[in-house]
Amino acid sequence: MSVHTAIQKRRGRMLSKSRREKTVGILCLILLIALALMVMFPIYWIFRSSLMSNGELYAYPPAFTPPAWRFENYPETLKSFEYLKFLGNTMTILIPAVAGAVVTATMGGYAFARLRFRGQKFLFTLCVGSMLLPSMVTLIPIFLAWSRLGLVNTYWPLILPHFCGGGAFNIFLIRQFVKTVPRELDEAATIDGCGYFRILVFIIVPAIKSAMIVVGLLKFIELWNDLLQQVTYITRRDRYTLALGLNIFRGSFNDDWSSIMCATCLSFIPGIVFYLIGQKYFVEGIVMTGMKN
Amino acid sequence: MTALPKRHTVRYNRAETRAAWICLLPSVIGLICITYIPMIASFTLSLFSWNGLGEMKYLGLDNYIRLFTRDTKFYGSLLTTLEYASLSVVGSIIYSMIIAMLLNRKVPARGFFRAVFYLPYVLPVLAVYLGWKWLFDYNHGLFNYLIKLGGGISVKFLDSSAMVTPSLALIAVWLSGNLIVIFLAGLQNVPRTYHEAAEIDGANAWQRFWRITIPCMTPIIFYNLLMSLVTNLQVITPALSLTQGGPGTGSYYMCYMLYSQAFKSHKYGYGSAVAVLLFLIIAVFTGILFATSKGWIFYEGDEKE
Repeated sequence: MSVHTAIQKRRGRMLSKSRREKTVGILCLILLIALALMVMFPIYWIFRSSLMSNGELYAYPPAFTPPAWRFENYPETLKSFEYLKFLGNTMTILIPAVAGAVVTATMGGYAFARLRFRGQKFLFTLCVGSMLLPSMVTLIPIFLAWSRLGLVNTYWPLILPHFCGGGAFNIFLIRQFVKTVPRELDEAATIDGCGYFRILVFIIVPAIKSAMIVVGLLKFIELWNDLLQQVTYITRRDRYTLALGLNIFRGSFNDDWSSIMCATCLSFIPGIVFYLIGQKYFVEGIVMTGMKN
Repeated sequence: MTALPKRHTVRYNRAETRAAWICLLPSVIGLICITYIPMIASFTLSLFSWNGLGEMKYLGLDNYIRLFTRDTKFYGSLLTTLEYASLSVVGSIIYSMIIAMLLNRKVPARGFFRAVFYLPYVLPVLAVYLGWKWLFDYNHGLFNYLIKLGGGISVKFLDSSAMVTPSLALIAVWLSGNLIVIFLAGLQNVPRTYHEAAEIDGANAWQRFWRITIPCMTPIIFYNLLMSLVTNLQVITPALSLTQGGPGTGSYYMCYMLYSQAFKSHKYGYGSAVAVLLFLIIAVFTGILFATSKGWIFYEGDEKE
């Protein structure tokens, strides 16, 4: 009898526990949805503002959906905002810079992971140590050097530095990945008569392709957003990148928020497209950057 | 075949050494030419007065003395930098930890939610700032509308020196999607058995969070803390694109001060002194983090002994 009631009591407790867990689960989901809406809302609001006239934007209370969907705002904005040109300029910088960073980081990471040579430890310490050095501190001397070379207002200062290993962090990331490739593969290739470079190209690179893509994507975002370097080196309007163009556009269209929001949405597009393409790698990559330490 | 026996000797293989140096050549050039030499150059330059064209004048520590004693904007700059960094670091770590914990549960459409929270991180940051400027607008912005709806009075988000840094830090929190993904990966690595064992021992969710989740996450919290601290102390983009350092010294962050001293006023020596101080501040903070890390970071390996 007492055993029976004990079992029943216990079952009741478990039942209430699972019910409670369910409630908690639903509450968490509701919280998650609320937060997601909050995070997305600014983007929606920007988009909605791009489809309204200035008169509508300044009305009170503000309309939550555009009274009339003025898609004609976009062609109108494109007349004064040289979107394609700025996008082209941005890509002219980004594509070689990212390629350079990926290739040289892979070479560096491979050497640190696989090859043994005198001074390796010292060099590696120097490399990892530079990760913690704030890049801002090198800004002025590097600028002075480029201006001495007469290369300010060209794209060289924005491209060439990325051919130098692509940053210690990326070298480190690649190194960690090369280390996960089984050494037996290298050794088998050595027996087959492969040199160190053929091993890199035919064994290592295929094995760490996803890490290389991640380095490329993260570099892409980093450079895309690096307004400081662009502001410092590019002052000629015909050389402007998308970020600089947008900045200037805002300045010249002071209170024309409708056009500014159009230009903003247009600038979002490459980021969103890029994200949709690279989403899988992005998530993987961010995880890697956090875990491989 | 011939290369094989050599690999097992302790002596360095010549061909290997040569291959290594060829592979590392770009990185070594980078380390020397765009990291360490400019670093030293910054230190040296900070002892001089130079406008980029004329003669360099040696000043000793005068630039620093002037910063600390005569520059009216320096302390404002220092304080606002620290304010921005602490608000955005603490804010984004708490925010992304909460989101990651929610996403770590069995939720439907998890991939979709993760994408939503991550999206701000990949948007072009300048466009993000412009968009937020509109949201922050004093007369017509969304936030002030909501505040007025709730019965409050309009806030000058970007146009008052007291509010500008918290407002910009809010954008930084919104942009911190990458931290969420790192935290989420860490949470998935917390062994389930720990939670199960604690549950059997009668620990409630709150206790499990503080006694299991947080200790297991400390290495990742440390990493995120370190990286976002170093990044946020170097804040400059919002000041460059939205506020130009103002109002007052409200967003006159040290990097912005460095930038405007060097590239607007052409005081390269003075700007370098700011850079060196920024370097020292970052070094002190990273030093503190590393020094205290032994005390609060829990490594799983420790337990197994």
